[in-house]
Amino acid sequence: MTYPKLCALAIVAGAAAMPAAAQAQAASPLVATSSVQLDKQRIVDGKIVHELIDIDKTREKVPGAHLVYTLTYRNAGAQPITHVVVTDPLPAAEMLSDDGFGDFLVSVDGGKTFAALSQLTVDDGKGGRRAAQAGDVTTLSWTIPVIAPGQSVTLSFHSVIR
Amino acid sequence: MHLAAGILAGAVVCGVPWRCWAAGTPAGTVIQNTASASYTMGGVTSLVTSKTALVTVDELINVSVAALDANPTPTINGVATLGFAVANNGNGSEAFTLSANPALAGNPFVGTVQTVAIDRNNDGMYQPGTDTPIASGGGSVVIPPDGIFHILVIVAAPSGATDGQTSQLQLSAAWATGTGSPGTLFKSKGNSGVDAVIGASGGQGAARAALMVNDANVALTKSATILDPKGGTTAVSGAIVTYTIVGQVSGTGTATGLTISDTFPANTTYIPGSVTLNGVALTDAADSDPGAATTNGISVALGNVKGGGPSQTVTFKVKLN
Repeated sequence: MTYPKLCALAIVAGAAAMPAAAQAQAASPLVATSSVQLDKQRIVDGKIVHELIDIDKTREKVPGAHLVYTLTYRNAGAQPITHVVVTDPLPAAEMLSDDGFGDFLVSVDGGKTFAALSQLTVDDGKGGRRAAQAGDVTTLSWTIPVIAPGQSVTLSFHSVIR
Repeated sequence: MHLAAGILAGAVVCGVPWRCWAAGTPAGTVIQNTASASYTMGGVTSLVTSKTALVTVDELINVSVAALDANPTPTINGVATLGFAVANNGNGSEAFTLSANPALAGNPFVGTVQTVAIDRNNDGMYQPGTDTPIASGGGSVVIPPDGIFHILVIVAAPSGATDGQTSQLQLSAAWATGTGSPGTLFKSKGNSGVDAVIGASGGQGAARAALMVNDANVALTKSATILDPKGGTTAVSGAIVTYTIVGQVSGTGTATGLTISDTFPANTTYIPGSVTLNGVALTDAADSDPGAATTNGISVALGNVKGGGPSQTVTFKVKLN
């Protein structure tokens, strides 16, 4: 890692500020951005109507509220980026929403193994195994084979505040 | 890989968090979510981490009240202790105002609320010093999230109430800060200054329990028969007097700890071992059987006797000096 070297440089340089170029790491050609919104669900004329609200503009982030996370990856470089593996551990206070399944694999063991939810089992607490449910998911994973220069890929999932 | 995710505040040490948080993630918890991506470019594998998304959990206000006994509670000496469970079903610690109302439509009598208290040891009985009394009109109780407090309401039946009459009492709990339709916002009124939102309960709850007048009346009837030494019924020296005491409990109530006792008349001598209960001989010693005799008199402990049951007959004998 470069961290100890940077430390040594700082000591050599004394209190003088490091040159900006030495501080900034090389910018990643893969630019990651993320956002989270509240999915306010209401029933209108017997149908569920979804309203996505910016998380900073709502005060309804209470247990049971649905959240929509959006992750965007843009290739800002000049070469293709390959084998992009995105990993997102779910916070303990959230569970994957039943309606939140998409083009991702899930883990129920803290990210050690990933598969489709239907392929996974968990300890049933009685000495046996049971089929894993959305609430058992600990980690999500997406694999993107290639992102061409200038191209963006958007991923999303839905969760519920426990 | 740096896979930072978790909660900053209100962490619960538990292998299965969602089972620990029946009422939900504690208000004020900051949920952090960080995604990371590994990628390959030009044969080099690198890692990029998204900016951590932060979600501060707001507070949901929910409370429920339930009666602990579906059946009417009988009065004892004209007073009944009614038990309720008040549950904070929200995700923050909150004060709830309690009020007990004995004047409900359809009640044949209106009881008088004497005490409202938190039953700290959940034994269904009010013990001063252990249980915490609260003002019945507008007293409040602070309940932690997911907490259930047992509340005792001690209510007295009026003297005019008759045996077997049943009246209801309603205990209401309301969020001390306010109530409203589900979704009503109370800005910055939650724990740690987060916003509070009224939940499905409307921020209030109520339940009813009933008390039944338990009127136990005990009637004792005493009689005596004399057997003189000649086989007659003359009260002469040496004649044996058999006293008979019949106890009868009436009403729908139970006479608790009922003991029939009598003192020996002057100028008589108790005949040892002569006490009987319903025809069965009892020993004079204060032992496992209900009878006992002293130099002054006899006693027979009947325990709890339900009203309307068979009468209890006690006899004993003395000799005239």
